[in-house]
Amino acid sequence: METGQQQERKTKRDGWIFFAVGLIVALVVGWVVFPLLLYSEQRQPLNYSHVKHGPESGVGLECEECHYFHEDGSFSGIPGLSKCKECHEDPKSLYTDSPEEVKLLKAFVESDREIPWLVYSRQPDCVYFPHVAHVKMGEIECKVCHGDFASNDTLPAYKVNRLTKYSIDIWGRNIAGYKRNTWDRMKMDDCAECHTREAKEQNNACFVCHK
Amino acid sequence: MELDRRNFIKFFAGGVGGTLLTPLPWKLIDDIAIWTQNWSWVPIPARGKISQVDTVCTLCPGACGITVKKVGDRVVKIEGREDFPVNRGVICPLGMAGQQILYNEGIRWKAPMKSVGERGSNRWKEISWEEAIDTVSARIRGLRESGNPAKLAAIDGNQSRSSMALLIRRLLDAVGSPNYITLPGHEDTYAMAQLLMQGSDGSMALDLENSDFVLSFGCGLLDGWGAPGRILSTWAEWVSRAPQARTFVVQIDPMASDTAMKAGLWIAPFPGTEAALALGIAHVLVKEKLYHREFIENHTFGFREFSKVVLEKYAPADVEKITGVERGLISQVARRFAGAQAPIAIAGRGKGDLPGSLYEQMAVHALNALRGRINKSGGVLAADPIPLSEWPEVARDSVAREGLDKARIDGAGTPRYPFARSLIHHFSESISSGSPIDTLLVSSANPIHTLPDSRGLAEALKAVPFIVSLSPFMDETSLMADMILPDHTHLEKMTDIVWPIGLQYPFYALSRPVVRPLYSTRHSGDVIIELAKKIGGSVAGSFQWENFEEAIKQRAKGLFDSGMGESSLGGSVPVWKRLEKATGQGNAPSSFSSMWEELKASGCWYAPSHSFGQWAEIFRTPTGKFEFYSSSINAVLQGGLEGGSLDDRLKEMGIVARGDAVYMPHYEEAGSGADKEGYPLVLFPVELINLASGWIANPPFLNKTLFDYQLKGGDLFVEMNPKTAGQYGLSEGSRIILRSTRGELRARIHLFKGAMPGVVFIPVGLGHTAYDRYLKGKGVNPYEIIEGVEDPLSGQPVWWNTRVKVIKA
Repeated sequence: METGQQQERKTKRDGWIFFAVGLIVALVVGWVVFPLLLYSEQRQPLNYSHVKHGPESGVGLECEECHYFHEDGSFSGIPGLSKCKECHEDPKSLYTDSPEEVKLLKAFVESDREIPWLVYSRQPDCVYFPHVAHVKMGEIECKVCHGDFASNDTLPAYKVNRLTKYSIDIWGRNIAGYKRNTWDRMKMDDCAECHTREAKEQNNACFVCHK
Repeated sequence: MELDRRNFIKFFAGGVGGTLLTPLPWKLIDDIAIWTQNWSWVPIPARGKISQVDTVCTLCPGACGITVKKVGDRVVKIEGREDFPVNRGVICPLGMAGQQILYNEGIRWKAPMKSVGERGSNRWKEISWEEAIDTVSARIRGLRESGNPAKLAAIDGNQSRSSMALLIRRLLDAVGSPNYITLPGHEDTYAMAQLLMQGSDGSMALDLENSDFVLSFGCGLLDGWGAPGRILSTWAEWVSRAPQARTFVVQIDPMASDTAMKAGLWIAPFPGTEAALALGIAHVLVKEKLYHREFIENHTFGFREFSKVVLEKYAPADVEKITGVERGLISQVARRFAGAQAPIAIAGRGKGDLPGSLYEQMAVHALNALRGRINKSGGVLAADPIPLSEWPEVARDSVAREGLDKARIDGAGTPRYPFARSLIHHFSESISSGSPIDTLLVSSANPIHTLPDSRGLAEALKAVPFIVSLSPFMDETSLMADMILPDHTHLEKMTDIVWPIGLQYPFYALSRPVVRPLYSTRHSGDVIIELAKKIGGSVAGSFQWENFEEAIKQRAKGLFDSGMGESSLGGSVPVWKRLEKATGQGNAPSSFSSMWEELKASGCWYAPSHSFGQWAEIFRTPTGKFEFYSSSINAVLQGGLEGGSLDDRLKEMGIVARGDAVYMPHYEEAGSGADKEGYPLVLFPVELINLASGWIANPPFLNKTLFDYQLKGGDLFVEMNPKTAGQYGLSEGSRIILRSTRGELRARIHLFKGAMPGVVFIPVGLGHTAYDRYLKGKGVNPYEIIEGVEDPLSGQPVWWNTRVKVIKA
């Protein structure tokens, strides 16, 4: 027969178990299930390899040949199909045996259809971000914000937040919002952090970006 | 182990605790905030190629250069062009909100329409352009066939020198109707004063940029006066100068308007007494011999009579009694005006969109003459003609000639109103007594809303059998029409402005379409040409152009043929600085076609030179001099007597003064049908730069800039001095009824110490009964209860001192 005291201790222990189970379930949901539910994954329409085209490759393209500034200072961003067609102009002639190149020629070049790239770093419409002020005037390297894309052979999966419809790269791939590198996150605080560090605190005024 | 109530709570507590240790709640809070950006009803401009088009804003005759920014085909932003000589980068709030005029589909006519059911009931049927043009042209042809071409009339709000205005005028001319009615503005008052004192009918040319002392009689320089972009950039130029060279502005205004508050000195006379103040200043200039001796002695007529009148009647002590302005201040201003290097005196209340008092304009201009400020740098210039080609002579057949011999129905130009070109308020009077007009065309105007005593006009229009509106907007006047032939809006069409209001050098501005027309609208210029062709006969013969662009181009050819002027931009020296030295900066185009292309791209042609002085040549009066004593008034009054006495004649014209004063600038107390006992306060309409008060209605962007002590919900606030309000037991926000002899309006009170006691200040531009939910039913329209008594001599309505009574509601 259990004594009343034993009984009481057991009840207490059971209570702690239930508490612990609740805690663990919540932690699993919060850290593992939630991110899986929050983001949907999309593949880029084409796996463009920066490595195979870049300065170190046989093609030897410089970054600025595709990602350049227009005369008025606006930034070209991701190049249009016309840029690809400067080399891949003939739908029938292949440079490599890569299935991605076949896809480029078949799906886009042949039908003259723009490639619907998914932009990892697309900011909300309420944000005004001029590349020229950062890259030319501020002399910031591309990878400070975008990471080292130049050494990418495969494009990372594009994950979109089901609620906000923005790319995961804005919040950061770490669900806790923890960042190790400058390019891990692109939230307003990250803009402000850099402005402050670079003694450009006046650019933290709302109207500078939210016009 | 069982899941009892206690354990469940513990499990739940663990869950809550665990959740708080995950990013889930924090991330969700952030995401929910961002999610609001993507609600389907939050407007986000389409993505597309970013581009910009340089053109000219034609929403008012100010002709500001604008850059229209587009994403894809969508206009997203309008900015001022820094390379454009008129506005040098500055534009007004209305110009900035221009895309809402284009895209606000709730206010636009999208196709030709025919009124069905009772007119004014706002029931419409869409018709084809062919049917619309056939109907209107057949009606006009019918008038001609029955020998009644004068039964066609037009109300035209286009700038009087623009090709659009000339084209409508030409249509009436070719059809055979003298009844071309324009909307009056201060430019008309200015033109009349120029005619009487200088014998010229040139454009208003004020060299404000080069002036160092501006005596502004009520001109709301920062409230949208004249060409707002130009005036605002001029103000910026004035205040950017070194302190000792800074232009000093004296603002004469019954209220602490934005202009008054920013001016160097603010003087508040009773509304409508500005002429007396000007003459008080003239008194000091004459008495202390501060006038320009050489100019007065050699180039003026009637100075002796003028000085006698001002010395006798307008001593500062007397003027103080009339105006309420302290006598010492009057002398002080006169001496400062005389002591300035390049002073200028200007008139035109508020935005200058409505006519002023003719004698007052003459009194103000007399100050310029006293200091020899006519055609001098920084003064009032004699406008050089702009060398546009004339269109071929109008072909008038016998029907047209007979029609044109008929008297105008508004009485303008008759012995009673000898100097008026158009009197729209008489137009409404003559219509209301059985309409002599059968068909009325309305273009670029919403007179039912923008004219003083607008209720009268609204009533009168009901008697016109057939009204055709060319308005692109569902405004009050077009809702009363039988047929709508909708025009494009300003960003969808090419049109011109000839000499932006008040600019000091010849300037021709040409806008170009920025977007393809959104709806099935047609350029009114093309419509008029089509109508004329359909009317046929000699009317068609006077409209030989394929389209409006061809007509504009034909006129612009004169600019090339003159061999003068420039269309190129980008020089670092502003044009106003180049006038004296006449330095060219561009290469003359080799052919007219290359000039036309240049003109379309730059949007302007201008002549950056001016012959200053030339006093012996510029006056075209009968005496060949500047006339303080107008021989034209004398000739007209004496000439038209035909046995009647001068006294009766003056009484008929509403002129109280007798003797020499009649022919000279003098102060006339504005008459009123209301007694001061019954209507103890004065209602003074106030125009604001961020509240459109003309034909173009206030866009929603600008509604947002009104404070909630100006407009709250549907309530409009009038401003009153706390003392005056106190007398009536009114406090901030009190609801009142404003009653004049013409009717009543409901409003609320905002107490403002900058408002003159005894005067009620009411913003103009609201109180629409048409348009969409952003405008309809918001506030009230003061013009509905404006008395509109006639200004002596000019015959234009007086709108600035209607007597009212305030009743607590």
